Amino acid sequence: MERKLNAELWDKMHYLFRDFNDRMVHVELHYDFEIDVEALKTVLICFFEKAPVLHSSFKDNHISPYWIVKPYRIDDVLTVSHPDDLDEAINSFLMQYIPPDSDLQMKVALFLKDGKSTLCIVENHMCMDGGDFKYFLKAFCKNYNDYVEKGISPIELREGSRSYEAVYSDFSPTEQRMARNLYKNVCAKDDHKFPLTPDSIRDRSFIARRKISAEKFAKIKAAGKKHGATINDMLVAAYFYSLYELAGYPESDSVTISCAIDLRRHIKDVSDEGLTNHTAFMQCNIPERGQDIFQTLQYVVHSVNKFKHDKFMGLYGLPLLKLGYNILPHAASEEIIKIGYSNPLLAMSNIGILEVDKLALNGHEPVDGFMTGAVKYKPYVLLSATTMRNVITLSMCVRGNEEDEKTVERFFDLMEKNIDALTVEI
Amino acid sequence: MESFIDYIENTFQGERDDGTLYHFKRQLLDQMTERANEITHSGLRDEKVLSDLIISEFPDLPGAYRKYRVQAKRERREKLVNKIMIFGTLGLAFLLLVLYLTVSFLTGAWGKTWLLFAVGFLGWAIFLLSVGVHRISRLRRLFHPIARVMLALAVMCGASAIFLLALVLFDLPDAWVLFPAGVVGIYIADAVYAYKTGQKLRIINYLIYILAASPMVYVFVCGLGLLPWDPGWLIIPIAIVVDIVLIIIKVAQNSKYKYRPEVDAAWNEN
Repeated sequence: MERKLNAELWDKMHYLFRDFNDRMVHVELHYDFEIDVEALKTVLICFFEKAPVLHSSFKDNHISPYWIVKPYRIDDVLTVSHPDDLDEAINSFLMQYIPPDSDLQMKVALFLKDGKSTLCIVENHMCMDGGDFKYFLKAFCKNYNDYVEKGISPIELREGSRSYEAVYSDFSPTEQRMARNLYKNVCAKDDHKFPLTPDSIRDRSFIARRKISAEKFAKIKAAGKKHGATINDMLVAAYFYSLYELAGYPESDSVTISCAIDLRRHIKDVSDEGLTNHTAFMQCNIPERGQDIFQTLQYVVHSVNKFKHDKFMGLYGLPLLKLGYNILPHAASEEIIKIGYSNPLLAMSNIGILEVDKLALNGHEPVDGFMTGAVKYKPYVLLSATTMRNVITLSMCVRGNEEDEKTVERFFDLMEKNIDALTVEI
Repeated sequence: MESFIDYIENTFQGERDDGTLYHFKRQLLDQMTERANEITHSGLRDEKVLSDLIISEFPDLPGAYRKYRVQAKRERREKLVNKIMIFGTLGLAFLLLVLYLTVSFLTGAWGKTWLLFAVGFLGWAIFLLSVGVHRISRLRRLFHPIARVMLALAVMCGASAIFLLALVLFDLPDAWVLFPAGVVGIYIADAVYAYKTGQKLRIINYLIYILAASPMVYVFVCGLGLLPWDPGWLIIPIAIVVDIVLIIIKVAQNSKYKYRPEVDAAWNEN
């Protein structure tokens, strides 16, 4: 008998984002040993069985969409190869697009070269966000190690509801009612764009990356402490300042960058929750560029702190979205939500630290790696940041041309320059 | 397969088997075997992992068995009700015919005994509609409007039966007032249904029903002579006042849950 899964609110929202990005989340991890392919397959099968949404096909039913659990073969999930050109193999794998109606929502590749392994994973953002993807990776490594070293079956993966309502579960009844009444459209209304070329059918997807060294990371941390800012604030300030320079916005312009926030901050214990999305955006706004980057930083800190002091941070749009999806059939509600929703042109997602000790396989910590969000379609951009071994990897996935690639590289140059400016006193 | 059997048998060791347990165990084993086949097809080769994985998908067998028993009991009851509904209609028709002829021949009151048929079938319709309401209410909310319509029909059947009894049996000239009373009954029944099933925004139903029911109450009360027609009409403006009071109370209650975040004020500074 056909097994169906509910399409949760965030599944539907990410499906709606199909006009703005390809909805793929990417991860790349490098190890200095050869991963056991059979063990990898065993762990993957167990995880796919524990999280059936990963082998389900999304049905865009006009009344109410849903997932249908599909049979699969592990060889369709995992690709193992010995490429001559590793970078080319990685890029070509990571740039793939998994349609939501396909039978698999996650693809894994293991590239073996010179006794080293590169593990790449691409998954549909409709299934889970960066927060749960990080958990997935850590659980994956732990289960792999327990299986290979102790023979323990790799079945320790969180299972449970994928509903967005978990964010309310730890509130008091009064707070719950308050939070459920926050009918507010929190969309970004800012026309400032990243200076990319116009759309073209010749555009192709690419991931641009830039590493910020561990030494600089330490300086960012110290400078942030001095200015009462977090590392994230420092990066956002550099992002703002670089944008003014790159795009030539007038200094007096007020600009907004949407920053991803993890709504799991409202959930005390996620151990009963299934893999899902719990991400919202806060609008980080600065009234003007400021005389120098330090003033930009103060604006950022001021803006971010306003959100941090709000106990319902990130929960504002949810009741309105729920109402939108509940009162009308899906096809109609999508159209209505599209009218009220405006996708942020400039966004940032600080995915956070990829802990090498928790991502170690067989005692081998990853030597390098990063995670990044979806490939955005012009004119939308998302700057992702992950930290591994105190090295920050900034990445931007864009569907564009060579000129766009150069623009993004120039942007990263400016980011580095402005980070240096922020940390000059350290 | 052996590991599944061991797991099932060990879990239910000492449990009394009245036949239901065997069916549950058999069903469970079939499900586990089917899952094992599926996962093996996906490419899992390690037998131990396969066994552990499947067993982890069935963690609480005693709990599942309790649910199975409840479900089995419910299914048996539903089957019985289905039988009653099918054979009861024929049986009732025969019984009413026998009753009608017997009472009519014994009393000779042919002008009134037809009531047995009318009231009997209206009562039967109420029973069938009640079963329908009960079963549909267990389905998704999407289907609840059907249950509400059935409930309204059941109330109207009841009002019609009482009307016929009052008119034919007791010869009450004011029996017609039972129809507006029936409409009020529909509103009350629906309001109770909305409350019991936790319908969202049911306050809107209540507000409309109070307004719509007030003229009916006016006609019923004054038609029966319990109040004079004037100032009985005051029932209608009183209903409007009750609605306004309800709205004020609800708004006051909801305002307690209005969150005014600091961020709003700060945000507007920009």
